[in-house]
Amino acid sequence: MLIPHPLLGLRDAQEFTYLGDARLIDRPTGGNEAELAEYVYLRDNPAGVHRELWFHEQGDRSWLVVTRNTLTHEILGAELARDVSLARKGDMA
Amino acid sequence: MPDLSPLCALGARTPRRVTHGALTLTETPECGLASLALRRGTPPPALDLPGPGRWQAADGLTLIWTGPGQWLVELPGAAETDVAATLAGKVPGASITEQTDGWVLFEITSSAGAAPIEHFLERAANIDLARFAPGSATRSPIEHLGTYVLRRAEDRLGIWGMRSAAESLWHALDGIAARMVGRG
Repeated sequence: MLIPHPLLGLRDAQEFTYLGDARLIDRPTGGNEAELAEYVYLRDNPAGVHRELWFHEQGDRSWLVVTRNTLTHEILGAELARDVSLARKGDMA
Repeated sequence: MPDLSPLCALGARTPRRVTHGALTLTETPECGLASLALRRGTPPPALDLPGPGRWQAADGLTLIWTGPGQWLVELPGAAETDVAATLAGKVPGASITEQTDGWVLFEITSSAGAAPIEHFLERAANIDLARFAPGSATRSPIEHLGTYVLRRAEDRLGIWGMRSAAESLWHALDGIAARMVGRG
């Protein structure tokens, strides 16, 4: 499996480690316990297109948000998690 | 003061060097190394910093892109000097850490042009050769060891690996080169 790294081009998936659902970026900050419990424990497990966090551990050590089809393993795109996070903060502001 | 004898990473007084066919592997202990990271608010340095997947020589240094906002800097021949201080003078305000003693550098040269180097790389690392012309540098595992691989020229590579695994990395590289000419 090859991952289209936004800075380095196609890289072998062996170089990456997988974390999970990209919603982990949206950590709740309000101090609401139920919201935090949901953030920590509850995940969707879709059969199909999924956005997930991958770490380029054997490469440039950047976090990526990779869009992958969990049924076919087709990789539909990859963005730097930093850019995704900053864009969201921009949207909220 | 105790009388200490400096040793190379592979344990000898002199750097190791071996030739297999067209390829020569050389341990290179005299090159200094430091890491450089630009902080938020670091004034833009006077140095020309290379972009992703590239290395660039500037002002007697070789800068290697390692991640967003981060570089490794080679100071050739300066391993016995205070390389962090030298670099701090050139990039004020950045985060700089001396790295020389944590790493080992092996240079691989070919006496028969690019072909043996590319053949070697195909066997050593998962690097796309179509994107690895001279001027390229990338981090890539070689036999499970994290390394930085630099294409210094068509017929020349530099490989930085962990000093604590110097013998294992040498064994890997030496074995690949030896098998290319049917030895080992």
